[in-house]
Amino acid sequence: MSAGRSTAGRPELVAEGFPRRRPRWVEMATSSDHKDVGRILIAASLGFLFLALVELLLMRLQLSIPENTFLEPQTFNRLLSIYGATGIFLFAIPLALGLFYYAVPLQIGARATALPRLGQIGLWLYLGAATVLYAGFLYTPSQAGVNPLPPLSELAFIADNGVDAWGTAAGLATLGFILIAIDLSTTVRRLRAPGMAWRRLPVFSWAGAIGSWLLLFVGPVLLAAITMLMIDRNFGGAFFVGGADGAPLLWQHLTWIFYSGAYALVLIAAFAALAEIVPALSRKPLFNRGAVIGSLAAIAVITPLAWTQNMLTAPIGIGWMYFGMTMALALIVPFGLLFFNLIATMVGGTLRLRAPLLFGLGALATISVGLAAELGHSMVASAWQLKNTVDATAATHFALIGGAVFGGFAALHFWFPKMTGRTMGESLARISFWTMLLGVALAFAPLFIAGAGYGQVVDAYKFYDEAGVSTYNLIAGIGSFVLAAGVVMTLANAVLSLRSGPAAGHDQWGGDSLEWFATSPPPAHNFDVVPDVRSEQPLRDIREALAERERGPVPGTARPEPAPTGSAD
Amino acid sequence: MLGAWAPAAAADALSPGPAASPAAEEGIVLYWIAFALATVFVVAILATLLYVARKYRSERGAEPRRIRGGAKTQARVGAALGALATVALVIGIVFTESAERTAETGPRGLLTDNERQTLEITATGQQWLWRYDYPNGAFSYYRLVIPVDTRVNLDLVSTDVVHGWFVPALGGKRDAVPNKTNELAIRVDEEGVYRGDSAVLSGTSYTAMRTAVEVVSPEEYEDFVARLKFDIDQAQEEATSRLVGGGAQ
Repeated sequence: MSAGRSTAGRPELVAEGFPRRRPRWVEMATSSDHKDVGRILIAASLGFLFLALVELLLMRLQLSIPENTFLEPQTFNRLLSIYGATGIFLFAIPLALGLFYYAVPLQIGARATALPRLGQIGLWLYLGAATVLYAGFLYTPSQAGVNPLPPLSELAFIADNGVDAWGTAAGLATLGFILIAIDLSTTVRRLRAPGMAWRRLPVFSWAGAIGSWLLLFVGPVLLAAITMLMIDRNFGGAFFVGGADGAPLLWQHLTWIFYSGAYALVLIAAFAALAEIVPALSRKPLFNRGAVIGSLAAIAVITPLAWTQNMLTAPIGIGWMYFGMTMALALIVPFGLLFFNLIATMVGGTLRLRAPLLFGLGALATISVGLAAELGHSMVASAWQLKNTVDATAATHFALIGGAVFGGFAALHFWFPKMTGRTMGESLARISFWTMLLGVALAFAPLFIAGAGYGQVVDAYKFYDEAGVSTYNLIAGIGSFVLAAGVVMTLANAVLSLRSGPAAGHDQWGGDSLEWFATSPPPAHNFDVVPDVRSEQPLRDIREALAERERGPVPGTARPEPAPTGSAD
Repeated sequence: MLGAWAPAAAADALSPGPAASPAAEEGIVLYWIAFALATVFVVAILATLLYVARKYRSERGAEPRRIRGGAKTQARVGAALGALATVALVIGIVFTESAERTAETGPRGLLTDNERQTLEITATGQQWLWRYDYPNGAFSYYRLVIPVDTRVNLDLVSTDVVHGWFVPALGGKRDAVPNKTNELAIRVDEEGVYRGDSAVLSGTSYTAMRTAVEVVSPEEYEDFVARLKFDIDQAQEEATSRLVGGGAQ
C-alpha cells in the first residue's frame, strides 16, 4: 500500500483496520493524536474566520455611508473588540499552530508527538476560550477595542463583565497555545527520524520549532498582563489604573510584545508553508534553504523587540522610539531575503499554477503591500501622522490577510490531500482566489488614502461627509463583501471536497519531505516504516532509488537504496 | 514614486498635508520618502512575481534547472537590503530630529517687552472633551486658540483613559495618558482653523471627541485669553455670590 511497505525490510505490527468501537466524532474529540488535534484546530480556526468576516461586514456596513445609524456606537465597539479577538486568538494563531501540529511530526518522521496530552489539553483550552468569548454575546461582550487599553478596560470605565470575558478567553487561548508549543518544540527536538539532523530538517518543521519558541517567549508576557488586569478588575488591584500608583503604559509595553510576536508567528508560518509549496510546485529545490531558515529565526527574534514601534505616540522617551524604529527597519533584511529566495526558487523552474501555488503567489503579493506600508509606521516622524489612522488598519490587514488567509489557504490546499485523502476542487479554488485578490485590494487599498490623506482615525463608528472619505469607505465596504464571497467559496470548497473531492495520491504534489511518504490520510501511527534520512530531500532520494531499481542498477552509479529504520548510515 | 507622475489630485489624496507647521512638514516629507521606498518594494515584488509566473509556467514545457542557490548572490542581496535598511534608519532619525527641533517664536509671534515668548498650554483629555488651560488661568473646551508664529509647548495629560490628540496639519498625534505628561511643541505659520480628532478608542462617545485649533494674530490671542479670563472670573463670582446670597432665599 505505502511506498514504505514495499521497501520494508522487516515485518511490523500494523494497527490499521481495527473495527471502530465508538462513533467517529467521539474518537476525534477524545483523540490525542496530533493529526486529529491539528485537523480540529484547523477546522475550528476556519470556522472562526467565517465569524470574523461576519463581524467585519457588519462594521463595514455601518461605515459604508457617512453618519450612518445602522449600529449603535456601543454595538460597534463590541463587534470591533470581538472581531479583533476572533481574528488573532481564534483564527490566525490556531490556524498556524494547527498546520504545524498536523504536518511537523509527519515531516520529521515521528509516529506521534512527544507530549500528546499537552496538545490535547491545548486544543480544549482553545475551544473553551472560544466558548467564553462568544458566550459574551449572551450578556455583554467587551467594548474596549482590539487591544483593550487600560484605564478604559478598568472597572471604573467598563463595569460590565465583557472585559473579563475577553481576558479569560485571551488568557485560556494563550495558555493552550503555550501547551501546544511545548509539545511541538519537544517533538522536533526529540523525535526526528534517524539521520534527520537539524540541517536536514524541512523548513516548515524549522518554522514549527521557531514559532513554538517564539510563543513560549511572548505568550507568558500576555498572560502576565491579563492576570494583572484581572486582579485590577476583580480584586481591587491597581496595576494599570489611572490613579496615583498605576502604570497604564505598562499594559501597552507588555501586550505589544505579545501582539508583535503573534504578527511574526503568522508571517513565519505563511513563509514557511510557501517554502514547501513553491519548490514542490516549481519542481526545483528551495533557493538557499539555510538563508530562509535563518531569516525565519531572525524575524522571530527581531519582531517582538520592535514592540515600541507600536507606541510611537505614547509618552515614552525618544530613545525607545528609535529602538523600535531600528528593530522594525532591521526586518527589511530577513523579509527581503525571504521574498528574494522564494522568487529565485521559481526562476528556471517549471511552475504548476495549481491552487496552492496560486494562493501562495497571492500571499506574497498581499504580504508585500502590508509590510511595505509598515515602513511609514516605523519611521518616527512619519508615524506621528499615520499611527491610529485607517492607514494602519490597511497595513495590518494586508499583512495578516496575506499571511493567515492567503498563506493559510495555500497551506490548506497543499496539505488537504494528505489530511483527507481528497484534493480540493481546482476550478472553485481559482474563482475563489481571484475574487479574494480583488476583494482584498478593494477593501483595504482605499483605506490607505482615507488614513494617510484624510486622517480618518481607527475604531471610529462613524465619519462625517465633510471629512472627504465617503467614497473610499464605500469602496472599502463593497470590497469587504467581495473578499468575504471569495473566502466563503474556499471554505465551501473545503467542506464539499471532504466528500466529493477527487481522490488524492500519497504524494500529491511531488514533495520532498516525509509527510508525502505516509498514506493519505496517514494511519494513526503515521508510518509503517520510517526511512533513514540522508539529505534534506528524503523523499526525492526514495523516488530516485525506486526509479533506479526499475531501470536496473547501473554498476558504479547507483545510490544506496534508503534502508528501513535502524540501519546505520 | 507615484507623486512624480500621477495627477496632482492623486498625490493630494495620498498626502497627509498640507502642513501648517514645520514639524508637520518634516513628518510629511518623511512619509513621502517611506511611501517611495514602499512603492519601489511593492512594484519590484509584484512585477517579478507576474513575470516569473508567466515565464516559467509548466505549459512552456521547460525542464527545471537544478540550482540550489549561490551563497554569493545571497550575500549580495543581503548586503543590499542591509544598506537600504541603514539608509532608511538614518533618514528616519534625521527627519525626526528636525521635526523635534520645533522652530522658536518668529517675528510675527507673541512678544512681551520685545521678548519672544514661548507659550505653555496644558491639553487635558477627558471622556469626551479636550480642555485647554492657558497660562493666565483661563481655560476653554474643544477649541484651542493660539497665536501665529509662536512656539507653543502643549502638555498632554488625561484625567481618565488614554486619549489621542491628533490635528493632522500641526505635526500629527500624541497620546494623553493618565499619570504621564506627553509633550508636543508646535509653531503654526498660517492663521486659520485646523480640525482634529481623537485617535485612541476612549469609549462610547469617542467619535464625538473632536477638537479645533484656531490660529490668530498675537493681539487677537491676547484679547481672547483676557476676555476668557474675565468671563470665567465673573461667572465664578456670580456663582459664588449666588451660593452665599442664595442660601437666605
